Amino acid sequence: MRNAIKLCITLCLVFLPAVWATPDNETLDYDTHELAFIRSLGPWPPVSKKDESNRFSQQEDAIELGRQLFFDRRLSLNNTSSCADCHQPDLAFQDGVALNTALAPLHRNTTSLLNLANRPWYGWGGEHDSLWSQSIRPMLATAEMHTDLSALQKVLSQDSFFQCAFQQTTGLNLADLTQQDLLVTIGKLLASYQETIQSGKSRFDLFRDQLVDAENTSPSQKNAILTAEEQVGLKIFIGEGRCTFCHSGAHFSNGEFGDIGVSFFTANGIDKGRYDGIKALRTDPYSLLGRYNDATKNSNDAKEQGNTETIPHNALRTSHLQLLHRNWGEFKVPSLRNVGQTAPYMHNGSISTLMDTVDFYSELDEERLHADGEKILRPLHLTPIEKDSLQAFLLSLSGPIHAAQEKPSLFSQCR
Amino acid sequence: MKSINKTLKSVSLLGTLLFSGSFLQSVHAEALPSAGLMPLIDTHIHYSHDAVYSTPPKKAIEILREAGLQKAFVSSSSDKGTQLLYAEAPDLIVPVLRPYRKRGETSTWLHDETVPAMLEELLANNTYAGIGEFHVYGKDANLPVIRRTVELASEYGIFLHLHGDSDAVEYVFEQDKDARILWAHSGFDNPEDVAVMLEKYPNLTADLAFRTSHAYRGKVDEDWRKLFLAYPDRIMIGTDTYTPERWYYVVDHAEWSRTWLADLPTDVAEQIGYKNAQNLAAWALK
Repeated sequence: MRNAIKLCITLCLVFLPAVWATPDNETLDYDTHELAFIRSLGPWPPVSKKDESNRFSQQEDAIELGRQLFFDRRLSLNNTSSCADCHQPDLAFQDGVALNTALAPLHRNTTSLLNLANRPWYGWGGEHDSLWSQSIRPMLATAEMHTDLSALQKVLSQDSFFQCAFQQTTGLNLADLTQQDLLVTIGKLLASYQETIQSGKSRFDLFRDQLVDAENTSPSQKNAILTAEEQVGLKIFIGEGRCTFCHSGAHFSNGEFGDIGVSFFTANGIDKGRYDGIKALRTDPYSLLGRYNDATKNSNDAKEQGNTETIPHNALRTSHLQLLHRNWGEFKVPSLRNVGQTAPYMHNGSISTLMDTVDFYSELDEERLHADGEKILRPLHLTPIEKDSLQAFLLSLSGPIHAAQEKPSLFSQCR
Repeated sequence: MKSINKTLKSVSLLGTLLFSGSFLQSVHAEALPSAGLMPLIDTHIHYSHDAVYSTPPKKAIEILREAGLQKAFVSSSSDKGTQLLYAEAPDLIVPVLRPYRKRGETSTWLHDETVPAMLEELLANNTYAGIGEFHVYGKDANLPVIRRTVELASEYGIFLHLHGDSDAVEYVFEQDKDARILWAHSGFDNPEDVAVMLEKYPNLTADLAFRTSHAYRGKVDEDWRKLFLAYPDRIMIGTDTYTPERWYYVVDHAEWSRTWLADLPTDVAEQIGYKNAQNLAAWALK
């Protein structure tokens, strides 16, 4: 009986996408360019890769300890909030509100934590170049967790279980650490857990795989996983919409920054976006150019060989950053994976729904953009049917969300 | 306490006057930048309808003064923004007439036959140092609306702030060899091509608005340095406040400009930083 249930579950999981699609779904015709674009939006999930700047990356016990820290309110001043209070697992690891005001009014939308491993920049302004340094940020922010490091070190040191688990995981004695080392270590443990927060294959991914397979074998015109409406939306997305200029690759984001004409005034002034992000990165002691980058060992080796100019290979991107006038008011191009679950949208949460976002691009305010030469952004002037199609396609980008689960056995000797 | 602050301010002002030498003598006292800061003239400021709403005139002037600007060349869509700022701070604002009624007319204005009449009326009733910034590329510079704009600049003895390619600049000089053109963004051309144009047209000057390639982390790029040293009296700086939020970039931009200007010989830095713009404004606002 148990085997029968297992088989049923397996079959359901394998064939569910086909059930979602109507039986007579046909694959629309795609020309060579369209096929190339579709191919470029995968494969998904990406190959798992260790973050070389974080020596705890992909370590089982670090992931578990990071998971515990993620839900631990002791990280904040007066135990007011944990990471999970704003990055809620049942809300795709975001908070579902435009601007969070739980502790103090914020001026940026809380981003989802899906698929953050090995991205080039973190934060709406790209203030950080690693997931662990980004994880430190809310702890230091007075409007967010506002961590009292001295108090935190004391309380964690008095927790015999945590102290033991910390020692087992990091090889470090909690009480002996400097506050900076404690901060960085906690950041790296938090990052280790967050690397496991991923979305699985979406219906679009299954469709893409089907299409790529068909290219390699004989084309199959029947039983397409995406509906005709979704495929029309896909064609707009990769075609006249030119969405893939920015929302490119398997992450549906180029990982960089843009100004799409959303106001960046805040309640108290201005959010300079990427401009301040670059400035912050240049002075951040926790950037990949700093001493906490665990990949610097190669650099030290090079220094011993007389090459004093060597920059760790994973920090080259940061070292080449240039501050440009255009960076003023640019914000990160967000991933569109599971976009149907990450409303509200934009850096300031100013657009409530996915359809409103489609409307925004459809009626883009050209006056606001001031592009010279080739215009990447232009109003799409979509018909209602086209808007519905584009939204339907975007909704097909949602996959099941996974994150590391509790593994109490890992620290059994600490109990 | 107030009297102490007043005394400190007076000492600071006296120090600035004593140690800054003669170049500050021609500057109005009320336009002096903060002590120690090199004065600057920003030749590329817009104050369009939406900026007026988000940053009212008093606040806008406060920003310009905070940036340590001696003057700001301001053009707006519509012209109302420029007039509001000019009324607020005539010592600071150099009014320039933009031929747009609202933002977003960059590619349509030159086909709008009602534009010349609008320009004529505004020129007759107000004071301007120039007409622009306007957008025009290639042969479009020979369209009737542009031709009339060039004529009006000649009639009033004011400059043209032209955003376009080198072809457009050449067509305008064909129409009026005595025209004075401030080439917005230096045409987004490379320094070698800008040099060719400056050499060919003695009445051409160029602003560096929205350009970053000439300086990196306070150091002037070598190719641009050659241009600056070869034509020190022809280049000016500018921010380009093309969206309301960019008004808040003026201070950062001034700070950035002072950083790379410091990498040039002092006399060249002063020319590019404010003297060339001062001369252009003085020529136009005689």
